[in-house]
Amino acid sequence: MTIAPKAPRKLTMKQRYEALTRDLDWEPSYVETSEVFPYTEFEGIKIHDWSKWEDPFRLTVDAYTKYQAEKDKRLYAVLDGFAQSQGHLSLTEASYLNAMKLFLQGVTPLEYQAHRNFAYLARHLNGPGPRFAALCQSIDEMRHTQTEIHTLSNYNKYYGGFHNYLEQHDRVWYLSVPKSFFDDALTAGPFEFLIAIGFSFEYLLTNLLFVPFMSGASFNGDLPTMTFGFSAQSDESRHMTLGLEAIKFLLEQDEANVPIVQAWIDKWFWRGYRVTALVAQMLDYMLPRKVMSWKEAFELYFEEQMLGGLFQDLAFYGITPPKHVEHAIAEKEVLSHQVYWTLYQFSHAAAFTTTFPDAEAQSWLSDNYPGTFDKLYKPLWDKEARNLEAGGRHFVRGLPQLCQVCQIPMLFTEPDDPTTICQRHSEYRGEKFQTCSDGCQWIFEREPEKYVQAWLPVHQIYQGNCGGPTVPDVLAWYGIQEGDGGEYKGSLDAAHWARWHDAADHSHIGSEA
Amino acid sequence: MQYELRTQVIDPPRKTFDHLVKRYGDRPASRYEEGTIDIQAKENFHYRPLWDPEHEIYDEAFSAFRLTDPYSFTDPRQYYYAPYVTSRAAMADAVAATLDYLDSRDLLSRLPDAWSSVMGELLVPLRHYESGAQMVSCDIARFGFGTTITQCAAYAAFDRIGNAQALSRVGIALGGGTAELLGDAKTRWVEDASLQGLRRLVEELFLEKDWGKALVRLDVADRLVYSLFFAHLDDAAIDGGAGSYSLVAQHLSSWFADHRKWVDALYKAWVADPETGAANKGLLASSTAEALDAALEALRPVAARVDELVGAGAGASLESTATTIRETVAALTD
Repeated sequence: MTIAPKAPRKLTMKQRYEALTRDLDWEPSYVETSEVFPYTEFEGIKIHDWSKWEDPFRLTVDAYTKYQAEKDKRLYAVLDGFAQSQGHLSLTEASYLNAMKLFLQGVTPLEYQAHRNFAYLARHLNGPGPRFAALCQSIDEMRHTQTEIHTLSNYNKYYGGFHNYLEQHDRVWYLSVPKSFFDDALTAGPFEFLIAIGFSFEYLLTNLLFVPFMSGASFNGDLPTMTFGFSAQSDESRHMTLGLEAIKFLLEQDEANVPIVQAWIDKWFWRGYRVTALVAQMLDYMLPRKVMSWKEAFELYFEEQMLGGLFQDLAFYGITPPKHVEHAIAEKEVLSHQVYWTLYQFSHAAAFTTTFPDAEAQSWLSDNYPGTFDKLYKPLWDKEARNLEAGGRHFVRGLPQLCQVCQIPMLFTEPDDPTTICQRHSEYRGEKFQTCSDGCQWIFEREPEKYVQAWLPVHQIYQGNCGGPTVPDVLAWYGIQEGDGGEYKGSLDAAHWARWHDAADHSHIGSEA
Repeated sequence: MQYELRTQVIDPPRKTFDHLVKRYGDRPASRYEEGTIDIQAKENFHYRPLWDPEHEIYDEAFSAFRLTDPYSFTDPRQYYYAPYVTSRAAMADAVAATLDYLDSRDLLSRLPDAWSSVMGELLVPLRHYESGAQMVSCDIARFGFGTTITQCAAYAAFDRIGNAQALSRVGIALGGGTAELLGDAKTRWVEDASLQGLRRLVEELFLEKDWGKALVRLDVADRLVYSLFFAHLDDAAIDGGAGSYSLVAQHLSSWFADHRKWVDALYKAWVADPETGAANKGLLASSTAEALDAALEALRPVAARVDELVGAGAGASLESTATTIRETVAALTD
């Protein structure tokens, strides 16, 4: 019989966590370490001691599964109840769902991409601490992919625009904006991905990219999406702490890492900020009941919290606010208006609808953008009002030129002049490339060999790779059906909404033994 | 009798998403299907990976094993995230109940010495094997082709770290609530002659770039390891008066039975493919044979050490599992 150990020193929580996760690692001796981890050298990042990684959270597999299973049980109960009670009829208005169409088409596939690439980090980072944190995030991202699909699946049964979101993410012009953004991160090295997604996307910009959709849901009667948002919150806070730990770890490991990380922050701030252009117009124009203006969100979540908070802390490491941030600040008064005006005119080729902002919406815009709306954008809508009166809703029949980096149509204006379209030109291997801003041009010129590879939807249409030469050919290739896009008023969604509400007024609930 | 609750019924214009209608016809889809089928991006990738410009972001050329339609394979357990974590939460509860029981009755310190050595010297070091299996599974989750496959691999990776943690908790319990025995177990994993073959096998597996082959190689090693430690020795322990070994082993053995369901289903999908089936058969036969030779070489010293300690016929059991593996793969690929 074994003799009972004498006065055992019980493990602290931290020691226990380390014994259960990090201590699982060993130094290989039958093969070279550099062969086991072949991808952590080429970016130039120097890590001297992986054990200095501070675990951003201490969650063991048993605790994780119990906690997550409990959360999913509650979430799916809400989804089922909402579906059974025809909860979609209690939304503010069917047009609200345009925000969710954009979300399912543009954001959900990114969650999946994150799932796959965090699995890559969970294999290919040399340290066991960050590998385990990445593995948790990888399966969290699978959760978000699936809970988003399941949350929005019920709307797909009743409304247009949702039904072909996967193929559309790979093909449609405005969706190449988020797709190329994430492809850019996936094709970078593991450390750049950590800064691009772990830090910039999940921390720096999450309140501008992800959260506005959830807040919009709660203001517009979308109980399932709001519940999903709350349910994802504790996952997201783990992801944020991972992103923050990642950047601190890289900066503390070697001073030579600082300029590399700074350049990645500069790149990924602008890259992510350009994706928020789609969110900006959603907040200001797509939500029937507004949460806050883009300008207010930008000031609070970016200028105050990030520039005023985070970057003060990062200054300690010699990190400065991202390059071109002043252009983003200058744009906050004009961004959403310019983007929506473009989408309004191209929505016949989109899987969401747009509509003329009514008097109430315009007065809200005018109150929230006192410096710009009345002067610059109201005149456009006044002109469109006259078109509408004459029975001619305006759609652009041509194809826009796209920025080689962010892939948004060239609609942005010069930082100091909101009436002149900004166009930048660069040359690479004898060819000319257009970018929409100093930020995108700087990104292009840093890695032209990467950005010349971009699959630009408009070029591809011209080259005959998108179903055929005419607009109907391309729309068929996009899988866009009658009622998915175009004008909201008079659309299939609007007609259904009216009919179902009419029916609801006559319904009654009775109970009989 | 039941009461009749009247609710508003609206006939939905659509039953599910287009890609599922195309594949399965116009019927409502399950949550597994909506959350899994066709999710991996298919076309128009914008850039090539800086770290591997020969490949697309998702590329079937990451393995010699191919499916004409990757979604001809589906997980027989139909795990998407919610049922997966629910199932694992129940497993974790069961493991915790066992550990509490072992602790409350002080059962691990009452093990016969030889069985205590089997646990400390050989079973607890397997946490490093599990940790290696996690890394291999993560590679499959990233480089595999098609969400049905990679989703299984990602959950398997998480399972493996869970197994490693469960074995570590056994080690902590066996060490009287300290990490001392875990420290010893790690030294054994790195130094003990009996374990070096297995460690070498895992390290060499890290270098396997073909995710399909990595999956087969890991599976073959798993079948030998699990059959030896969690089936054969489970029985032998009960006979040898080491019931607490069996209490631990049951959890890993039931996890493994659940895990192998998808691996087996994938093998079947590989060999049944109307276009790539013949090539897959050849690959599966040759990869299994090669992997089996290597895994047997790695595990024979482990079995020999078990037999030195408890004389449980471990060596013979190992060879008999190998025969079973040969027979099943022959039945699949002939």
